[in-house]
Amino acid sequence: MIRVLRDFLLFFQRDLRIASTYRGPFVLELVEALFGAAMFYYVARFVDSPQLREALPQGTTYFAYSLVGFVFFDYLHAALDSFDRTLEEARDTGTLEPLLVTQVSLPVILVGSATYPFAVTTLRIAVYLGWGSALFGFPLRSANWLSVLVVLVATLLSFSGLGIFSSAYLLLFKRGNPSKWFFLGISSVVGGMLFPVSILPPWLQVVAHLNPVTYALEAMRAALLQGASLSAIAKPLLILFVFALGLLPTSILTFSWALQRTKITGTLSHR
Amino acid sequence: MSEFAITIDSLEKSFPRAHSGWRAFLQPFASPSLPALRGISLQVRPGEALALLGTNGAGKSTLLRILATLLLPTRGTAVVAGFDSAREPAAVRRHLGYHAGSDLGFYARLTGGENLRFFGRLNHLSDSFLRTRIPALAEQFELGSALDRQVRTLSSGTIQRLSLLRALLHRPKVLLLDEPTRSLDALAAADFRRFLKEEVLEQEGTSLLFASHTLSEIELLANRVAILKEGNLVALDTPAALRSRSRASSLEEAFSRLTGHSARSLEEPAAS
Repeated sequence: MIRVLRDFLLFFQRDLRIASTYRGPFVLELVEALFGAAMFYYVARFVDSPQLREALPQGTTYFAYSLVGFVFFDYLHAALDSFDRTLEEARDTGTLEPLLVTQVSLPVILVGSATYPFAVTTLRIAVYLGWGSALFGFPLRSANWLSVLVVLVATLLSFSGLGIFSSAYLLLFKRGNPSKWFFLGISSVVGGMLFPVSILPPWLQVVAHLNPVTYALEAMRAALLQGASLSAIAKPLLILFVFALGLLPTSILTFSWALQRTKITGTLSHR
Repeated sequence: MSEFAITIDSLEKSFPRAHSGWRAFLQPFASPSLPALRGISLQVRPGEALALLGTNGAGKSTLLRILATLLLPTRGTAVVAGFDSAREPAAVRRHLGYHAGSDLGFYARLTGGENLRFFGRLNHLSDSFLRTRIPALAEQFELGSALDRQVRTLSSGTIQRLSLLRALLHRPKVLLLDEPTRSLDALAAADFRRFLKEEVLEQEGTSLLFASHTLSEIELLANRVAILKEGNLVALDTPAALRSRSRASSLEEAFSRLTGHSARSLEEPAAS
């Protein structure tokens, strides 16, 4: 276990070193986050109404609601993207085969390579919320940070399964994953990113409740905006862990099978 | 280590036919029907250098990639240092150094040294070991300055030498090289061959299986030569025995007589 964690750290350090050779993007992301937070603030001011406030959880402004939805959606994006982008980059730069003849297994390579993008996404979320709090009154002080941390872990685990499925698809079919875009599309409508699930027609609400994004956002908003304790968000958390328990092993099995297939068909490094 | 460093027994490998259009979607599930290796059997003794000689498409790289655990055989077995490459790939990789003959495979924004340390650590080599091993090998490969420069600024030949250095970092018992001097200039290639012969084969006793199109390289390094033709092993013997068996005056002539191909066909660009 310690060896695996050490391997993860190696991948993290590798990506940090590579990122440090590009200095511009970090500053640009800080500025982009400022504009993003400002945009949500002014949109929220524009659409604010008594009816809207009634539809939101008590005491929550639309600015805080939509900002959490937006930045957290970034997490889903990172989870779905990190694994297959890692694989695609390794394949295209020719590092995949040298990595595969080391003593580290492909799942460790994949998860290890995703640690940096996840850390960057977490940092980006913090920057968005930081700007929101410093300039536009985002209620950061009411957050329950322990709950926030546990929700992040649960989200990471359940979303990672989806990302690993996506990489298995890439191994087999070599090009972008339609199911990823389908999932992101569905989640942007029924995941509760910018509006509550309760305003959807009943049949779409059923779809929403089959989607881990809905629970992740519900728990994160409660923890961040209302300071909900772990017991208060036990239900969405439990559902997220159930998703993780189902998705992670099946995605790893699917990925291993896809890897075996590519070793049979000889297409491991094909583009 | 078992009696042999490498044991290949009745090894067969077939690939699925390539499809285009909508049928390409079914490619990952297609059954393998194009034979690349047809029942190859051979052994490499500890400390021995065996060369694979054949035209493009003869199956040399496929054989090396099966041993490197990058491909699964269709039938038969390939055992490296006593471990089956299909069933015990992690154990095989512990004893294996593999260089695919390409100048790719490094992180362009990292320096040569950072790349080597990263791959060395993935082979679970300690920092202290790497601190002495990398400069020592770099000196032998004349790569001293490449260690501090980003790989994107290095020439193709230098990157290839880095790749060879990487394959040797963990002192593998078995070294697999696919056209190891392909991108090296004549001088660097000669230095590399000398290094392989004196340091790797004679001093460290590493077993070497390598594919090459350069007959002089094979004559210099190989104890025995395996000649492949369309996935079949047509001859396996010492260079001298191959020459005498085919009543040829050179390995080039022996290759032509045994395969029916002219030696010039060895130099044709890869078809795939």
